[in-house]
Amino acid sequence: MSFEAVTLAELEAMSATEHNLLPYGVVGFSQDTTVNVYNATEARMAGLDASQVVGAHFFEAVAQCMNNFMVAQRFQDEPELDDIVPYVLTLRMRPTRVRLRLLARAGGLRRYILVER
Amino acid sequence: MSDRSSEEELLEFLYACPVGLLECNAAGDIAMINPHAMQHLLPLTGSRDASNLFSALEQHAPELRSIANDFRPDTGKICDGHRIYVDLGTGRKVGSPQVLSCTLVKLGPDRLMATLADVSEQVVQERRLRQADTWFATLLDSVNGYATVEIDSDRKIVSANVCFTQLTGHDHLEVAGQDLDTVLGAEASGQVPRLGEQIEIAERDGWHLQEGWQQRAGGEHYWCQRLVVARSKSEMTRSGFFVVLRDVPQHNEGTADLQRLLMSDPLTGAANRRHLSQSMQQEQTHWRDFQQPFSLIVLDLDHFKSVNDIHGHPVGDLLLCGVVTACAMLLPPRGLFARLGGEEFAALLPRFDREEALALAEEMRKAIAALTVASSIGIVEATASFGCATIDEAQGSIDGLLALADARLYSAKRAGRNRVHRVEGRAA
Repeated sequence: MSFEAVTLAELEAMSATEHNLLPYGVVGFSQDTTVNVYNATEARMAGLDASQVVGAHFFEAVAQCMNNFMVAQRFQDEPELDDIVPYVLTLRMRPTRVRLRLLARAGGLRRYILVER
Repeated sequence: MSDRSSEEELLEFLYACPVGLLECNAAGDIAMINPHAMQHLLPLTGSRDASNLFSALEQHAPELRSIANDFRPDTGKICDGHRIYVDLGTGRKVGSPQVLSCTLVKLGPDRLMATLADVSEQVVQERRLRQADTWFATLLDSVNGYATVEIDSDRKIVSANVCFTQLTGHDHLEVAGQDLDTVLGAEASGQVPRLGEQIEIAERDGWHLQEGWQQRAGGEHYWCQRLVVARSKSEMTRSGFFVVLRDVPQHNEGTADLQRLLMSDPLTGAANRRHLSQSMQQEQTHWRDFQQPFSLIVLDLDHFKSVNDIHGHPVGDLLLCGVVTACAMLLPPRGLFARLGGEEFAALLPRFDREEALALAEEMRKAIAALTVASSIGIVEATASFGCATIDEAQGSIDGLLALADARLYSAKRAGRNRVHRVEGRAA
């Protein structure tokens, strides 16, 4: 269940408790980018309470810094996506080098972004 | 009472804030940054460092670093709404910013606050307004006639109207297929921008209007407005341009006098500081938009005070006028010779690289050394010391350019005067 190895199907099958135990950030969102999954690691890194994030539009309200051609646009353009990209996030407003894993499949319930700092 | 901590509320506020905010030190290292700012910054950085503001913007706004460095006070506004053109080219998300606006505020000697906002829409609107203004001005001003010319993308004339014959003296039917530059003698006229550059701007902005002297086939000069409009690209035909030429009434004597008074030094007739500064800003825009470099020579007469002391001010004034006449004769068509003050002068040299500027400085040095002015107690001779610098060396900063040329002028003075300071190729 490492950052590199975990599959989209495994993420789909996990419970919220299991998501919370993962050592990297997990964000799952629907086709219209509404956040459904926001695990404890991500909440801690970003300093946000999951209850405030779930239900919000991810790229518009939560992660504006990913709302560009490097992340958001790829989810729009590529129905099948499994890629790891080096990135700089603004966790708690500090520039932080991370690796992002972008996961999507055609007809999938959710798309995922995994964050490893 | 809310069960959310105020820190969490503040974080949410900063995460969702629709304006980019960041704080960095004087070197640009970012301490705090909100997501909106990072969203703008990250796509621009490529392999550069996204955690340093100046490195991140190095390619699109290299001047920002020097603007911040040149700001001396410990606190205050460094720049307000500085425009950064960040066209990322095709293949990028439609609607991603084309123009960012950056405001920098200095909070302390080593603490800067910046905002970044996408002003692409605003820029488009400004352009539309300017365009409307241009057309209104065209309609309202008194006009002797319009010549319209259609050219293809190679600047070859496709067609011209009857008025073209009347305005330019070239038969409108015979010019078809010819090069518009050649017909108008546009490249030789010394106009800024040149026709080719106007076309480049029109390709980007849709249109460009320029005013300057033009020559008719018979040799007569007339004051001409030249509007270049890009043809709509939706047509299936090859893209091309419409060029509208109109003969506008010449500036009357009064305006010309006023302009001369405002732009020149009353004693020598050389350009004044204000004119030089405006011209340098124009050239800086060219440097940024078309990568056209330019150079600056600064020169200072050697021991001028003693000329005034020994021979009197009228002789000193004659000598200054002689220097201007001698140096202005050596200038290239678009060059500008200005008096910075006292016995200090500058020459602005568009498109000159370092070697060309050094060569011209050497010619000026010889011309000044050959000058003589007669005084009641004998012949007065003069020499001058020179420093040159290019805008590339100053990373696009005008203040940097002046400072560099000045520093080299003073090395020439220290090295014994009557010389052009040559920069050594090796590192200091």
